[in-house]
Amino acid sequence: MKLPQDRNGAEHALIAVVDDDESVRESLPDLIQEFGFAVHAFSSAEEFFGSDSVGRTRCLVLDIAMPGMNGLDVQRALKDRGLKIPIIFITAQKDDAVRRRALEQGAVAFLFKPFSDTALLGALNSAVEP
Amino acid sequence: MAESAKAAKDLPREGFISGATLESVERALRRSQAFLAECQRLSQTGSFSWRVVTDEITWSEQLYRIYELEIGVPVTLELIRTRVHPEDLTLLEKMIEQARDGGNDFEWLYRLLMPDHSIKYLHAVAHATRDQDGQLEYIATVQDVTARRLSEEARDKAQSELAQVARIMSLGALTASIAHEVNQPLSGIVTNASTCLRMLSADPPNVEGARETARRTIRDANRASDVITRLRTLFSKKDAAMEEVDLNDAVQEVIALLLTDLRRNRVILVAELAGNLPCLTGDRIQLQQVILNLLRNASEAMSGVNDRPRELLIRTERDENDHLRLSIRDVGTGFDPEAAEKLFRAFYTTKKDGMGIGLSVSRSIVENHHGRLWASLNDGPGVTFSFSIPCQSEASMAANSKVHPPAA
Repeated sequence: MKLPQDRNGAEHALIAVVDDDESVRESLPDLIQEFGFAVHAFSSAEEFFGSDSVGRTRCLVLDIAMPGMNGLDVQRALKDRGLKIPIIFITAQKDDAVRRRALEQGAVAFLFKPFSDTALLGALNSAVEP
Repeated sequence: MAESAKAAKDLPREGFISGATLESVERALRRSQAFLAECQRLSQTGSFSWRVVTDEITWSEQLYRIYELEIGVPVTLELIRTRVHPEDLTLLEKMIEQARDGGNDFEWLYRLLMPDHSIKYLHAVAHATRDQDGQLEYIATVQDVTARRLSEEARDKAQSELAQVARIMSLGALTASIAHEVNQPLSGIVTNASTCLRMLSADPPNVEGARETARRTIRDANRASDVITRLRTLFSKKDAAMEEVDLNDAVQEVIALLLTDLRRNRVILVAELAGNLPCLTGDRIQLQQVILNLLRNASEAMSGVNDRPRELLIRTERDENDHLRLSIRDVGTGFDPEAAEKLFRAFYTTKKDGMGIGLSVSRSIVENHHGRLWASLNDGPGVTFSFSIPCQSEASMAANSKVHPPAA
């Protein structure tokens, strides 16, 4: 699949959204595209790992609570595979222990739903910074 | 005791008693007295005798120690009154009056207020006898049960705190799951609306895209609303269980539940439950919830009352038009007559951490039983809350086959 390109032909950074919630998969990619990124959405971690996007993903926007592999499992799995993909966690659960752990394990940001577009944009920019 | 009896048996009936025999009898008597005194000390039990006609009161040494009075000081009712807890003085007078007239055995739980302001809990058991002149005399033991009482109170307090925590925790879990369910669509709304703004600010504006986000926003808002509706039906799902309810039984069960709480709040509960009350048809659990709510309110209304006994009267009786009436009367601070109807409004509360659903739900429950719930100020201090519910006949029961729980 060819990535969208801007006027200069440079590729937009590819962001992967992984969330089992359909409305998130529907709304979030449009917002991230408005930011100027390219987006792929996946309904599960398994689907993401099974795709060919893994190598090209510049940043993961990842839900915590998912059936099967949850967000923290994904973080660990990426580490195990030596894949240095920055992670922005999004979640509806206000669990400070989980937040602390995720940040300790190197997450770029941990956002509670509903989060503002500026918060997400800020996190994406710091994640994709060269 | 047995020793001195034995020694006494050895005494000749008449004639010369040797000094040695007398000595051994006295020794046995002294030993038995010491034994008795030691038993009283060990069990923290004192004893007294009270010759009613002369008000002659004799105390054992242990009883002086319990009252922390000098051993041997003449005991009068006046002296006793100086030690009895001021709140139990009326009780004391009542007990004395009854004892004078009655001539029956009695038992009495009361408190002492010591000079250092500590409180002792005492348990007195008295037996009525006639002395050699045929006069009424009480022989009694008084045990200091403070230690046991304090540990009971600590245990009850711990239990009630535990129940409270469990209640709060489940409420917390409930709130968390509601928040979670509502946060998902809310998050969609925020995202879609943000996208909408950016699309409209683009050059050229992406109107079709913006339209789509607006559609999604409406859909997500409806989703959130559905969550609320689902939760409401979940809570009103339990259909009222209709059965024959013995109101007095139901009241007594609730009282048993609250007894420790009431005691801790120094509430004096007086129950006047009419005999031969007909049964009413209704939901026992719901009615008990109402009674529980009213009793708790009454107890709390009196929490600041210190200049009069905190008397709580609960009464059941037959009301006109074949209704059953239950009244709960307190001697608390009352309410502003202007605010009478406000009391029953949802979320109205004067309690610091109250949720204000008690009276409005209670009224719904009573109204669902085709009755009414109202409050009136007493002639003296305090308020009486009453509800009146028809004892449904067979015919009307068939007509109204379901009692619906209150709408949330």
